[in-house]
Amino acid sequence: MTGTDVMDREPDQLELRAGDGCYVYGVVPADAGTVGVSGVDDARVHVLRHGPTAALVSVVRIERPPGRRHDLLAHSRVLDAFAAAGPVVPVRFGSIMVDEESVREDLLEPRQDRFAELLAELSGALQFNLQARYDEAAVLTEVVTGDPQIAALRERTRHLSEEESYADRVRLGELVSQQLSARRTADEQAILDALEPYLLEYRVRPGSAIDHLADIAVLVEASRREAFETAAEALAAEMHQRARLRLVGPMAPYDFVGED
Amino acid sequence: MTVTSAPRRGGGYLERPAPSGLKDVIEVILDKGIVIDAYVRVSLVGIELLTIDARIVIASVDTYLRFAEATNRLDLYEKGGKDLTEVVGDMQHGGARQKTSGALEGVKNALTGGGDDDGDEEQESRPRRPAKKTASRRRTRSTES
Repeated sequence: MTGTDVMDREPDQLELRAGDGCYVYGVVPADAGTVGVSGVDDARVHVLRHGPTAALVSVVRIERPPGRRHDLLAHSRVLDAFAAAGPVVPVRFGSIMVDEESVREDLLEPRQDRFAELLAELSGALQFNLQARYDEAAVLTEVVTGDPQIAALRERTRHLSEEESYADRVRLGELVSQQLSARRTADEQAILDALEPYLLEYRVRPGSAIDHLADIAVLVEASRREAFETAAEALAAEMHQRARLRLVGPMAPYDFVGED
Repeated sequence: MTVTSAPRRGGGYLERPAPSGLKDVIEVILDKGIVIDAYVRVSLVGIELLTIDARIVIASVDTYLRFAEATNRLDLYEKGGKDLTEVVGDMQHGGARQKTSGALEGVKNALTGGGDDDGDEEQESRPRRPAKKTASRRRTRSTES
């Protein structure tokens, strides 16, 4: 424990019975206050302090089958709520430790410095996810009209059954896939060029659907949030004939905790 | 819970969905965050399977057939003789909801489907395919507990 005085410090004693474990959501600075948000199974979220950092935990029954929908929502609800109040390092979904001693000794103690460093880096930074999806018909139309070989294969296969035109279809799909991937590379770069001035950091995530253009996790300084959002809006307007842009967030910095 | 896709600011093209949508949540948090060492962590069976499965990206003949199918579904000039810009314009008005999907979509379906419905609006209309081509969906489905 550091000697820091925190206004709403609660007794961080968890009541664990046999068969209970500690669900761990993330790590925050030790001076982080409690946020009024319920965790997995609507359990109360505790701020378990140890040295300069603290873990966000709640009591969970270990034996119960993972009720994934609600657990996923609870996990992100807790992290996003704390992220709105200050820096937080997310822990991977579904992490449960045996008791609070283990959380302190096995999670916080060994990585104290690393967590403190990460939290300092993430302070004042917001994560957003930008998803760009092609208008499938628009981009496929570009692909077909832009390549005579694809247009010819399409003509040849479209009125035949899959069995009758199997080889041609595989070839057609392969060519379409190559064309899409070339377009994606160029369009993704255009998006990054437009937004990079506003970003602290970004991660490009893979995708494989036909309409996939780009999934980019970005870290934005809170003070530049408005400028970033304005730039994203302008980009969406510019691309709207061919693609839809969605901006989700701000959220906890799931993609920027230095692992993977 | 509603996935809001209406722009928050008037007239904007940038969609700002509520971040509480399950589909977004899955994309955001699966496989993300600090990993606690296995020997100090209580392992839960279902969750490992879930995250591993979400990583599968299908790149195969099956994918190519889906691409071909989508390309063949396109209505270019044949019917009604519209020119390209008209077709593109039409599609913007909601004609292009068909989506083909990879394994991650399968996982999402497994998670979003079944039991309590939260009004996930991204219902997919899957292209009809021969029964033998559904291996990827079966695999993701088998992770449901």
